[in-house]
Amino acid sequence: MTTAEAARQAVADPVPQDQPIGSSVGRLIAPLKWTLVTACVLQGISSALGVMPFIAVAELGRVLLAEGPTDEGRAWLIAGLGVGAMLLQFVFFMASGALTHLADVDFQFHLRRNMAARLSTVPLGWFNDRNAGAVKKALEDDVSALHHVVGHSYTNIVAASVTPLVALAYLFWVDWRLAFAALIPVVGGIALYGMQYRGYGEKMVAYDKALEDVNASSVAFVQGIAVVKTFGQARRAYGRFIQRAHVFVDYFWNWVKDMIPVMSAANTVMSPLFALTVILAIGLAMAAGGAVEPVDLLPFAVLGPGLVAAFLTLSYSQNDLMLARQAADRITAVLDTPPLPDADLARKPQSSRVTFENVSFSYDGQTEAVRDINLTLEPGTVTALVGPSGSGKSTLARLLPRFWDTTQGQISIGGVPVNEIASDDLYRQVGLVFQDVQLLRMSIRDNIALARSDATTEEVVGAARAAQIHDRILELPRGYDAIAGEDALFSGGEAQRVSIARAILADAPILVLDEATAFADPEAEASIQDALSELIAGRTLLVIAHRLHTIVGADQICVLDEGRIVERGTHDQLLAREGVYRRLWEASRVSEALS
Amino acid sequence: MIRELLSVIPISDPAGRRLRLNIAGLAAESMLMGVGFALLVPLLRATFEADFDRAWVWLGAMAGVLGAYALVRWQTQLLGFHAAIGLARGLFSRLGDHIAQLPLGWFDATRVGSLGRLTSQGVIDVMGVPAHLLRPIVNAFVTPATVIVVMFAFDWRLALAAAITAPIAWLVYQWSGSLVQKTDHRTHDAAVEASGRLIEFAQAQSVLRGFGYASRSFQQLDDALQEQRDAARAQLMTAAPGLAVFILVVQLAFTILILFGLNLALGGDIDIAELLAILALGVRYVQPMAEAADLGGALRISRNSLSRMDALLATPPLLEPETSSLPAGAAIEFESVSFGYEDNTVLDQISFTAPERTMTAIVGPSGAGKTTILRLIARFWDVTSGTVRIGGVDVRDLSTEVLMRQISVVFQDVYLFDGTIEENIRLGRPDASDAEVRAAAALARVDEIAERLPEGWEARVGEGGARLSGGERQRVSIARAILKDAPIVLLDEATAALDPINERSVQQALRELTHNKTLVVVAHRLQTVQAADQILVLDQGSVLECGSHQELLAQGHRYAAFWNERVRARGWRLAVRDEIPAD
Repeated sequence: MTTAEAARQAVADPVPQDQPIGSSVGRLIAPLKWTLVTACVLQGISSALGVMPFIAVAELGRVLLAEGPTDEGRAWLIAGLGVGAMLLQFVFFMASGALTHLADVDFQFHLRRNMAARLSTVPLGWFNDRNAGAVKKALEDDVSALHHVVGHSYTNIVAASVTPLVALAYLFWVDWRLAFAALIPVVGGIALYGMQYRGYGEKMVAYDKALEDVNASSVAFVQGIAVVKTFGQARRAYGRFIQRAHVFVDYFWNWVKDMIPVMSAANTVMSPLFALTVILAIGLAMAAGGAVEPVDLLPFAVLGPGLVAAFLTLSYSQNDLMLARQAADRITAVLDTPPLPDADLARKPQSSRVTFENVSFSYDGQTEAVRDINLTLEPGTVTALVGPSGSGKSTLARLLPRFWDTTQGQISIGGVPVNEIASDDLYRQVGLVFQDVQLLRMSIRDNIALARSDATTEEVVGAARAAQIHDRILELPRGYDAIAGEDALFSGGEAQRVSIARAILADAPILVLDEATAFADPEAEASIQDALSELIAGRTLLVIAHRLHTIVGADQICVLDEGRIVERGTHDQLLAREGVYRRLWEASRVSEALS
Repeated sequence: MIRELLSVIPISDPAGRRLRLNIAGLAAESMLMGVGFALLVPLLRATFEADFDRAWVWLGAMAGVLGAYALVRWQTQLLGFHAAIGLARGLFSRLGDHIAQLPLGWFDATRVGSLGRLTSQGVIDVMGVPAHLLRPIVNAFVTPATVIVVMFAFDWRLALAAAITAPIAWLVYQWSGSLVQKTDHRTHDAAVEASGRLIEFAQAQSVLRGFGYASRSFQQLDDALQEQRDAARAQLMTAAPGLAVFILVVQLAFTILILFGLNLALGGDIDIAELLAILALGVRYVQPMAEAADLGGALRISRNSLSRMDALLATPPLLEPETSSLPAGAAIEFESVSFGYEDNTVLDQISFTAPERTMTAIVGPSGAGKTTILRLIARFWDVTSGTVRIGGVDVRDLSTEVLMRQISVVFQDVYLFDGTIEENIRLGRPDASDAEVRAAAALARVDEIAERLPEGWEARVGEGGARLSGGERQRVSIARAILKDAPIVLLDEATAALDPINERSVQQALRELTHNKTLVVVAHRLQTVQAADQILVLDQGSVLECGSHQELLAQGHRYAAFWNERVRARGWRLAVRDEIPAD
């Protein structure tokens, strides 16, 4: 199954949104249900067999200490059964472990693939709100964190339950009174643990808060170190970090200080030595009183101290389980991100005429980032969006390639609303050139031919020439076969031109351009501009403009303020109007004159 | 592990002594546990022989050992947390001290991110070692060793039989470790590749979609994920035999004990009660090892944090002079300065002088080393060879405090603290009066920002200044520098796009700041370059040309070509048709 198929499946099979958070682990591992059940059965058999060698020692005692001549055959049989059970236990244990671990490897792979597939369908804007590190964390680290659940948790629980149950069953069979005595350390230990963890929840919250403060003050200290040092204030930010660290340490100490006596008592009671002493004391009293045979103490000496160990194993894995649960919540959050609805009856646009009709958009459902936009881009014209930062010009431009869907109104290309155009067709119509250039870690040829993997060498070279980057590529030792980021190390301006060559080859009739692209690398400005001039020739252009002198020739200039188009017209018309545009224009003249 | 832990604690630190004491306490605790177990042998023997009086004595001894164990355990628990607390306090201070002394150039984005974690959660991870992890480790070695030693006292043949598998188990453990290590390389590479592709997948999402990858799969990512699966599977297949053999060897110990013991007993060579007691002891022999094996993950985390702290503490700090010289004036001089990271040369034999109260502009292609010159003046790094002087004094002979008093730095990446605008400006000179702060703010047009925000001057700027736009952040940082009023200004002109109003305000603010100062600027704006008293043309770490705008233009070399390109760029207009409108 490719990611694309997985994507279709993920879309066709939407997950219900009303699941309680805690069940996210269960939901994710649902496909592994039968594998895990089988593994648990195998583990259960293994654990039951694991008790047998201990029983063998006890039973051996019964045979050897019996009155009269020793039944040697029976003794060897018991020893042999014990050793045989141990070997079988090993076989079942390995089988169970192999099953869960191999299943886990596949599970992680499919989960990652499904997550990637889902992310290929969510609104592009989703990625703007998160950095790439968070995506990597969810797909790589969080998925890995589930390993403990799939590989260990369930089988551990089975092992930790079956072992004491089988042992207890045997002990009850030997002597029910002593078996109850063997439970004393378990009950006592649990009670003391309960005391130790009383109020744990609230204290943990305060602990997390104190730790968070350390983290925040440390980040602030490190991030701002250049500032604090250049202003001779290093001591201040440093002081805050150390102070928070001490607050945390003090909190931690006050917390554990009170807990240590109970903790030590609980741990002593849970120790095998305590179990041994208690059981043997009671056993000895009973044996001395003739209530049990002395040989019956042997099973309790062998099996009794192990009962508590199971409980400890369970408590050790709590932390891993909690981490896995948090990871599972983040993973399901990714899988539950609603995808952009895809067009059911895909229509093909008949022209490159773009219309915005009463378009409004809000990121958070409260404040509108753009409002009531009516705008037409005639084929082969330049439309420029200008305005102060935060005015909504970037948001408006990004609605056309469907980074998000509009909250109200409609954007159409050639008369077809963008959400009724199949995404392939949409991006065949609309090309994007933004300031943050992205070269993929693949050959320069593949980078340029990204949209058209069937492009001929001539076409790729032609696009590179038009984008003024062909000669630079030929300077690379492996030319067009050099891998971006490995043996093709480009400056910002050079990478810009590769991305422009890519857009030239894609040849979309409509282009959304961030004009800042032209001066992202000031020293290479002229050559980027030449490349852009080649790219935009003959296309319908929507440009996010920063420097007004570059757009004086635009067919229409829209001035945005607080999400609305407050003025529109050509450069000359807008200058004559003496409004916002004129003020912006004059400000830009002043800063060009200042030095 | 313990050695690594002690390596981050200085010998003189009481935490180190406490840690050693704690380890000794834990060893005592484990030995008591072993002795307690060993008492099982005489106790059971007496019981089986129905000699209950003797059995009670041995049980009393066992209870006594248990009491001692409880006491020691309480003390080691206390000691363990004490050591953890002391360790944490020491680590916080040592790491903080060291970070404060590192060269500023060391701090890049990835380091800043991981440092935050290392100095909080990382310290917690290390605290866990004395608080929780040391006990099971010490137990795993000392308790079985005690049991074996005591077993020798009862029956040397059985003790030998039990002990003989220990070295085998150790060898197998090493061997299975080496098996895993062999495959570690591949799984590590696969994980790195997959992470890299995932980051690329997220960062380049608009490109991938824009070029039709919404419906096609991104093959490189899929390949990386598949390789990760295959590598993990291969590792399982390779590691499983090692684990299997290890378990079998441990089981062999018990098998030998029971079969050999039975043989001895049936031959009458050993007392049956003693054999049974020793067998009961034998099952206690393996358990501490199994418990310690469960802690592998937690140990690995602590060890990673420890080795990262070790690496951090090993990074050489910037050396400060014992007593600081005082610069005579604010001229800057580079004498044959070379600088490089690792084996990659950034600056090569740079010499120039920036006289007091003059303006020096640095131009050149990206990667030429322009910003590095500014950073060397502010001593973000030390030069590899040559000398940087301020007012005739080597910057290495100036204390950080004295050096920084001479310099205001206005770089592109502006960092503001999460406080009010006013607090951020006051950082420039903490003892400035309110009027002075307001005056600096007004000169940098920050008053306009305060007017815009609902809470005015009291408005918090958010972590890193997130509530302000890029241009506004720059203005606050310039106001800070104006208030500081240092004789030297180092300026890295922004390349990011600002809207015209913000751009104008920033330019006006900069004019206020740089007036009458020694100014060194990495220049992108043509007006800035033109106004400079001296222009350094830099390429690949060398100064190609040096002179005024007119002189360099007249020479007609590199600078002239650069200038003409830039002038041509300024005339550029966006047009989809061939008619270029007249300016």
